[in-house]
Amino acid sequence: MDFKELDPILHSQLRLAIMSLLISVKEAEFTFLKEKTSATAGNLSVQLNKLKEAGYVEIVKQFKNNYPQTICKVTPVGVDAFSAYVKALQSYLPK
Amino acid sequence: MQEEPMSGQDSLRIIEEMINTAKSHFNEDGHLLLLWGWIVSFCSVTDYLVLRFAEVPWHSVVWLLTWVALGYQFWYIRNKRRRRRVRTYTDDILVAVWIAFVVALLLVTVALGNIYHAVGRDFYVFVNPIILVLYGIPTFLCGTILKFKPLVVGAIGCWILSLVTPLLPDAEQLLMPAAGMLIAWIIPGYMVRARYRQGESLRHGL
Repeated sequence: MDFKELDPILHSQLRLAIMSLLISVKEAEFTFLKEKTSATAGNLSVQLNKLKEAGYVEIVKQFKNNYPQTICKVTPVGVDAFSAYVKALQSYLPK
Repeated sequence: MQEEPMSGQDSLRIIEEMINTAKSHFNEDGHLLLLWGWIVSFCSVTDYLVLRFAEVPWHSVVWLLTWVALGYQFWYIRNKRRRRRVRTYTDDILVAVWIAFVVALLLVTVALGNIYHAVGRDFYVFVNPIILVLYGIPTFLCGTILKFKPLVVGAIGCWILSLVTPLLPDAEQLLMPAAGMLIAWIIPGYMVRARYRQGESLRHGL
């Protein structure tokens, strides 16, 4: 059987959870991701930065009603990487 | 969420769980359906009562209330956008559907004005059936997009009423938009609100 290599950036529980959430919506606030993944703010921030460095997510920091707001959305590169990851995953599953 | 070695099955479970979590996040609380449902019903019934019992030529003036509601709607949408934490593709499609409806309604109103100039008061026979057909369109689309059957049923109800309306006396035709609102926006609006509140309760673990 031909096993494809899994993208190490996505093959992590929290980063994969973040990407799965972002792929389903247009954009989401940091607080939404924190609530849905049950991650700590610090850990989430670190993992989001790793995804950003890989070019998989875009992070926009702005102010809303005088409070800082962080909006995240998946990039076209991220969509391709996610799609390739799922395809690679399928090669590991019994047919 | 802990960082532990993951198997392929674990990856699939996370993907499925997170996609379902995002899908279950329901932004629609039915507020605008209820607002417009009640406003249009109120205008429709008041218009009928004034025409029937006071018989004054300015019986339709109550419909100016819809401009106040439109102003409130812009303010409400602006505030809601500021508060929301996630923007879904469904949200954007629904906004497009309602913009198309409002534009179509304004254009049809202009067209009906031209018909009024051409045929006089006889134009009243066209107004309510056409408006009911229009009400059905965004309702049907919203019901389909949100996978919410009561809205689809309400839309079909509006279209049936558009066929029934011309069979009624002129004055009673004015009541048909109120009937349409009840089945298309008010009853489904309360059901959408209940679904939204149920989702919020689950989210807060109540």
